[in-house]
Formats: sequence, C-alpha cells, structure tokens
Amino acid sequence: MRETKQIENQLRVVTAIKANDNMVLKQLYQDNYKKVEVFILKNNGSMPQAKDTYQEAFIAMYQNIKANKFTPTNETALQGYLYQIAKNKWTDFLRSSRYKKTSQMADGFLIKDEDTSMIEFDISEEEYSPQNLAMEAFNHLGNECKKLLEVFYFQKKTLREIAAVFDIGEASARNKKYRCIQKLRNLVSPN
Amino acid sequence: MSTNNNNITQEELERIERYLNDTMPDEQRNQFKDQLNTDYEFRLLVDDVKVMLLGIESASLKNNLEQFHDEMVPVKTLDQQTTSETAARLKKTRIKMIKFMAAAAVIIFVGSFWLESRSNSTDRLFAKHFSPDPGLPTTMGENENFEFYDAMVNYKQGDYPTAISKWQPLLSSEQKNDTLHYFIGVAHLANGNEKEAINYLQKLTDNDSDSFQEETAYYLGLAYLKADNVEDAKKYLTFSGTESAQQLLSELND
Repeated sequence: MRETKQIENQLRVVTAIKANDNMVLKQLYQDNYKKVEVFILKNNGSMPQAKDTYQEAFIAMYQNIKANKFTPTNETALQGYLYQIAKNKWTDFLRSSRYKKTSQMADGFLIKDEDTSMIEFDISEEEYSPQNLAMEAFNHLGNECKKLLEVFYFQKKTLREIAAVFDIGEASARNKKYRCIQKLRNLVSPN
Repeated sequence: MSTNNNNITQEELERIERYLNDTMPDEQRNQFKDQLNTDYEFRLLVDDVKVMLLGIESASLKNNLEQFHDEMVPVKTLDQQTTSETAARLKKTRIKMIKFMAAAAVIIFVGSFWLESRSNSTDRLFAKHFSPDPGLPTTMGENENFEFYDAMVNYKQGDYPTAISKWQPLLSSEQKNDTLHYFIGVAHLANGNEKEAINYLQKLTDNDSDSFQEETAYYLGLAYLKADNVEDAKKYLTFSGTESAQQLLSELND
C-alpha cells in the first residue's frame, strides 16, 4: 500500500516533468546535483566537468521521460536514473581516447563510488541524435524566434497570453511561430 | 532527421500540433490516426515535427539549467552558517584536545626512549624504512592480463592475501613472470611474511632481465633485515644503491 503511494509520487513528478513544470524541474535538479558532483570529483573530475556532465545527464533524462522511455518502479527510481546516466557519461568520457590522450594517468584509477546499488537501465547514448541536432539548430535562431518558440512550446502559454506578452495579434503570433519553425527546419536540413 | 524535405504548411503544422497536444476533438483525432497508419510519408513528417518540438523544449530547458545551478548557491551559505556555529564549539574542544595531546606527547616522548633500548632494532629499522611499492597503473577496460590487474587493485587497497592468491595461479602461464614474482614478493613482505618474500624476490636476482633490479634488491635487503639476517641485508642494500637503501645502510652501520 505504501509502495504504491510512493510510486504515485514518482508518477506525479514524471507527469510534471512532461508538462515542463519549472518548479519541479528546478527541485529535481538541485536535489540531485551534489551526489553526482561527489562522484565526479572522486574520479579525476573537476567542478566545471561535474556541472557539465550533470546538465547533459539531466537533459538526457528529460528527453527519455518525454519519449516515454522511463517508468518508475520504486520510490527513488527517478533519482537513481538521473545518477546512473551521469555516472555512465562520466565513465564513458574517462574511457574515451579524447581523455586518455590529454591526461597522464599517474597511479591507475578505480571508479570509486559508495552507492553500490546499481540499477540497470538500458540507456542508449546517442551523441548525434536528431533531438540534439534540433537543439543545436535552435540555438542558432535569432533571439526573437528563440523567445517565441520557447514561450509556445516549452512554457506552453496560450495563444492569447503570448499575443499579449509580445503585443501582437493572435494571428500574427501564429504566423511568426510558423516562420520560426520554417527557419528551424531549414537549419537542420537545408534545401 | 528530415529525409523527405517537403515544406510543411502552417495548417499542417498546427494540425499536427493539435494532435500532439491532445487538443483535438475525437473524430478528427481518429482521422488523424488513420492517416498515420496509411500514409507513410505523413507519418515521417509527424515524427519529424515531434523530434523538432522536443529539440526546442530541450534547448529551452538547457538554457534554464544555468539558473537552476546558480540558485543552488544559497544552500551553501546555510551550510556556512551552521559551520560557523559548530566552529565555535569545535574551538573549545580543540583547546581541550591540545592540552590532552601535549600531556600524552610528553609521556610518549619519555616512554619511547625507554622502549628504544628494549625493542628489536632490526624490526624498528624495517618498520621505519618499509613501504610497499605503489604498484602499476590499473586502467579500466584492460582486456589482456585481466587477472593480473584485478589483483593489482586488491594490492593497492592493502588486501595483500587476496592479491597474492589471485597472482599465484598466474605464475605458470604468465610471460610476465618477473613482474609477478616481484609483486608477490613485495605483497608477502607487506603482509608480514618475510620468509615467503625472500623466496620470491630471491629468484629475480638470478636473471638479468629484471626491470625492477634496484627495487628488488632493496626489498630483498629489507626482507633479510626483518628476518634478522643483517649480513645478507647489507649485501643486497649495497647492491641496490637507491637513496633509501643507502639511508638504511648508514643507519644499520651505526
């Protein structure tokens, strides 16, 4: 009985994430950073590397949740999932030829981790996934398009709200959005 | 991503969005689903749009992460607050500790003089000069000689019995015999078994191909020292010639 309640909580969080709930996302981010930082620092990493790796992992988790690739099986499944992704990213980096070339491995290393409760997830690392391409392309859009698309698709504001914020008519907002999408599509696969 | 590059019209885009947002009335929804099932290119287009929208959302989220990160700082200042409180408390206990340790230090200082004259000087010298070889780098994903490096990890953790038990079976099949003999010997010495250490290390002095010659001689010297065989200890330490060996020799000759 208690178990299902806790999974319910996880499910609530997952639903909130899918809806881009800013508060939930922020809470999740802040609650789980420290553990990843400790892991990376213990394993030849620096603070900037810890931050970057964690943020990459966070985005990867987000994308998997949006794509329905994650179902919580216990009350800490989501936190464990995020941690696992970050760990995998870091160990992959340490094994990569990029890292080996630039570092002198003084005295052998052993991946040190106090949390030995390894949860197995099938996490496929696609560096050059279509999503990442779209993400990259998005950053190359002009500021106006970026703002507009963010408000439409991430913040999911209504047409009326958006028209008010940008001080344009609703039809105009729709048109602008469409043109920004066109630009984005052209960036990803130019004609 | 987009293999078929048909331009999408505004109406198409908004229709697909309504479907993805679930703001479509049922009847239209069913029509849409049918179209997905029958029109392959349409399905590709819808997938395309999905991916693109997810990319927009991910990029937007990513831009927010910096802010999330920066807003974590206040947590640190809360920590700082509590640490300054505990720091005051610690200071008091620290003063007590110092007084206690000063008293203890005096006792130890006086006592050690007394102990010095009574303890076995070779044991003392051994303890002073012995520290195990730091070992070889254990890189992850090492395919060949997995057992060797696996045991090396145990060795580095100070678990000498396990390291020895893992290394020993490799002796018959390994080409790296010298390295094995060396580390098994040093592990035995670290484990307090100087007789076995001598066994393994001695074998290495017979051939020239030992890449650890100076170190081998040094550890051999230490092993003989522990075994109270000062004569042989001196012999190997002289042969070794390392700084530590010379230091130990000079102390032995005092």
